[in-house]
Amino acid sequence: MKEFIIRFLPEKRSVSVDKGTDLLTAAIRSGINIYNSCGGEGVCGRCKVIVKKGKYRTEYSGRIQEKEQKKGYVLACRTTPESDMTVHIPEESRLSGIEVLTDGAKASRLSGLYTPAEDIQEEPQHKTKPKLFKHGPLSTKIFLKLPRPSIDDNLSDTDRLFREIRKNHDIPVMQMGLANIKKLPGLLRESNWELTVTLGNRNGTTEIVIIEPGDHSPENFGVSLDIGTTTIVAYLIDLNTQKVLAANASHNPQVDFGEDVISRIIYAEKEKGLEKLHHAVVDTVNMLIANLVNEKSLTLDDITAVMCAGNTTMMHLLLKIDPAYIRKEPYIPAANSIPVIRAAEAGIKIHPRGLLSCMPSIGSYVGGDIVSGILASGMDNTKDLCLFVDLGTNGEVALGNKEYFLACSTSAGPCFEGGGLTSGIRAMKGAIQKVSVKDNALSIETIGGLPPKGICGSGAIDIISVFMRHKIIDRSGKIKDNKICEVKEEGRVKRITLVDKKSSGIGKEICIDENDIKNIIHSKGAIYTGIEVLLKEAGYAKSDIKHVFIAGGLGTSLGIRSAINIGLLPDLPEEIFEFMGNTSVTGAKMGILSQEAMEKAYSIAEKITYLDLSASPGFMNNYSAALFLPHTDINLFPSVKEIL
Amino acid sequence: MDRLIEKWQDKITEVRIGATKEQGGTRGKNITIGGETGIYFIKDEDKCPNPPAIAMEVWDMEPSEAWSETLKSCFGAALKDPAEWAKMCVEKFSADMICLRLAGTNPDTKNDSPEKAGKTLEKILKAVSVPLVVIGGSSPEKDNEVMVHCAEVSRGENCLFGIATQENYKTLAAACLSGGHSIISEAPIDINIAKQLNILICDMQFPADKIVIHHATGALGYGLEYTYSIMERTRLAGLSGDKMLSMPMISFVGHETWRTKEAKSGDETAKEWGSAKDRGILLESATAAAYINVGADILVMNHPKAVEETKKMITKLCKA
Repeated sequence: MKEFIIRFLPEKRSVSVDKGTDLLTAAIRSGINIYNSCGGEGVCGRCKVIVKKGKYRTEYSGRIQEKEQKKGYVLACRTTPESDMTVHIPEESRLSGIEVLTDGAKASRLSGLYTPAEDIQEEPQHKTKPKLFKHGPLSTKIFLKLPRPSIDDNLSDTDRLFREIRKNHDIPVMQMGLANIKKLPGLLRESNWELTVTLGNRNGTTEIVIIEPGDHSPENFGVSLDIGTTTIVAYLIDLNTQKVLAANASHNPQVDFGEDVISRIIYAEKEKGLEKLHHAVVDTVNMLIANLVNEKSLTLDDITAVMCAGNTTMMHLLLKIDPAYIRKEPYIPAANSIPVIRAAEAGIKIHPRGLLSCMPSIGSYVGGDIVSGILASGMDNTKDLCLFVDLGTNGEVALGNKEYFLACSTSAGPCFEGGGLTSGIRAMKGAIQKVSVKDNALSIETIGGLPPKGICGSGAIDIISVFMRHKIIDRSGKIKDNKICEVKEEGRVKRITLVDKKSSGIGKEICIDENDIKNIIHSKGAIYTGIEVLLKEAGYAKSDIKHVFIAGGLGTSLGIRSAINIGLLPDLPEEIFEFMGNTSVTGAKMGILSQEAMEKAYSIAEKITYLDLSASPGFMNNYSAALFLPHTDINLFPSVKEIL
Repeated sequence: MDRLIEKWQDKITEVRIGATKEQGGTRGKNITIGGETGIYFIKDEDKCPNPPAIAMEVWDMEPSEAWSETLKSCFGAALKDPAEWAKMCVEKFSADMICLRLAGTNPDTKNDSPEKAGKTLEKILKAVSVPLVVIGGSSPEKDNEVMVHCAEVSRGENCLFGIATQENYKTLAAACLSGGHSIISEAPIDINIAKQLNILICDMQFPADKIVIHHATGALGYGLEYTYSIMERTRLAGLSGDKMLSMPMISFVGHETWRTKEAKSGDETAKEWGSAKDRGILLESATAAAYINVGADILVMNHPKAVEETKKMITKLCKA
């Protein structure tokens, strides 16, 4: 087979590929991450690259404008080389590396995505006052001095150890693996009968996970993780003091294989697909843990436990379980609760005998991240009716209180995480997250005050709200001629430039077009309809809701008013809303620190009834009514009616 | 036992089509539609202030292949001259209104210019004194040019222009607003989009009492039940106080019926279908009957015999 050399600029990185290999695959192979939301299907238009030299074959889609075609723009996933090539990968097609997220964490608080450790110490003051759970981490280290055996006290080494542990701890069932039993006699005698035992909670029994000579009990650390579809967040936690020592985040590199869970499940069905997806996530988790350990001058052996929260598909991929049946009717996952296993079994590098626990899921499309979120919000402790909305790719919504929960997944799409928008980016520094009109001109604010790089979720919500109020768009989201911003039109699609080429941080204008607005309207309509259906099924009116918790990585803050204006959230008094940021990792932190919290998580998962929206009568009708700003029935939004 | 009388919060908006001399036009009379106070023809609920009106369809070109022989034979040579054709519909077949379909402007047929369409419209306005419905040639881009011109030449006549859709309503709405006409807003069997479109049109300062809703029309056996149920929902919403769904409704009964193979094919096709002469008429009348019962305020029809039967039915229903 013929081979061609593809040279990528500006890195000047070359890779040799077979004829017929597309440029996207070539770029990934050379180690350059390109946006690729649709999994290489030529649909999303995010993988634009510029051909500088060489012959190629390409399919143009509506995603490349005519002007761009002339400049050599092609979709990397739709282009194959016919000769050696030189290809420039522009800034906007690149996935930002982790440095964007970790750098300067103190300067701006990315609560949605990544909260610096010092900000996490104090538990946030929630309106529902989540119960403080009894300290009882996934793994506990205790220091013991064992009495030496004698003719009168002739218990075996193992029983002697158990007896000593039980003197202080009420643990009826204990187990110890063969490896530790083999190690025990020598270790006891060499350490002068003084040792540190790591006790792990394993599915209702207690395991002696690690034995080591001397006193290491003060050094007991764990990591809590949120494995999101787009972002992975890790906290390093001192399991003794219960403090978060450091935090780190990265994008989920599985994005290279598809932006949503469905396209990843499809990818997993390809040859070696599951393996690639599994490695992508595990490698990132290991890198995050290694970074955290280095930052605090610890060793990997000091980490004895990991707690993960994520949606059902993410958990399958992390554990390399085939997720195929999640996608196929009647949508059955391999497991909702995963027993506590050794982290090493999943490829996670901590202490080789360290434990991995996962937040239980509810079903194929409502996962452990939601259980974690409900746990973190404390809404299961109150009699008041609470609503939980996760503005992520899957857009899960849960309604309930201490008695019961109803949950659904609305498949909102990646809009609120910056996906599916011409200039969309995840909540990172330089992301536009606030927009206002001052002196008849648009004024923008970015995260960290940096030159704008794109629009994140809360920015998108703000933009639609501002455009609607200032009649820059009509109520169906179509751009109108107006006095505030210039309207350009290409191929019948109108667009508005928010930041020109000169002022932007990516050397290209940042804009929003009618298709972007349509995508946002579809996402917000899906979430609103999900809320509506849950309320109807539970037999409540929206005025019965006493607290609303918003979770998600859409920015450091969320304009609740804007979210109501566009019809994303129900028209309720602003003070009952609370933007909580990443609740998945918060819940995972609670779970690793307290067995009681974990038990609570299991009871929450048991209480949740999953509702399939597609089976709900009238869903499509409600949905199409929600595809308007704020809604076809303006009477549902009296406060918005006043300002329109 | 007492009959339960449903009391509705609201009534359907009255829309006046056509302008007399006093009103700035040249029509001999105008027609008011809508105003229902309940479900059509339910005794004591609907006061039936304005019976449904029947508009007969006239084309700006001879509908050679599109129409069946049965249909064409009713009009003979008049089909070649839109003005004569319109006159015949009013004088001989007692049409309440004329619906001019500008089929000849479509680039796939004759691609007639907006000016030519305007001339045809002017001729018809002179030939008959009833109010007019004017609809385009089903080519959204071309319609935008044609309808702007036609709305201008018929300025002040308060014709009912169509068809505005969600994708293409601004040009037509602006033209109607400036020419003093009414508008047909159409959504494809989706009550939400119907309402959204009415909101968008009203947001252009277009008066709500100059809008007539069209939900697509399905002929009997060709999706009638879908359009029927969406029209019923619209009517119930309108009577319950939803101002953006309380407009009168129009149905293009003739056009849809005479496209079906049952109406078009001759005697040889299937004996059990009955005589080709009656088949289309029966289908058109039956379809019209269904739409009248669900609340259609204007029926656009084709066959004179079907028009006659439908008129008889309306009279009977109104009396009862």
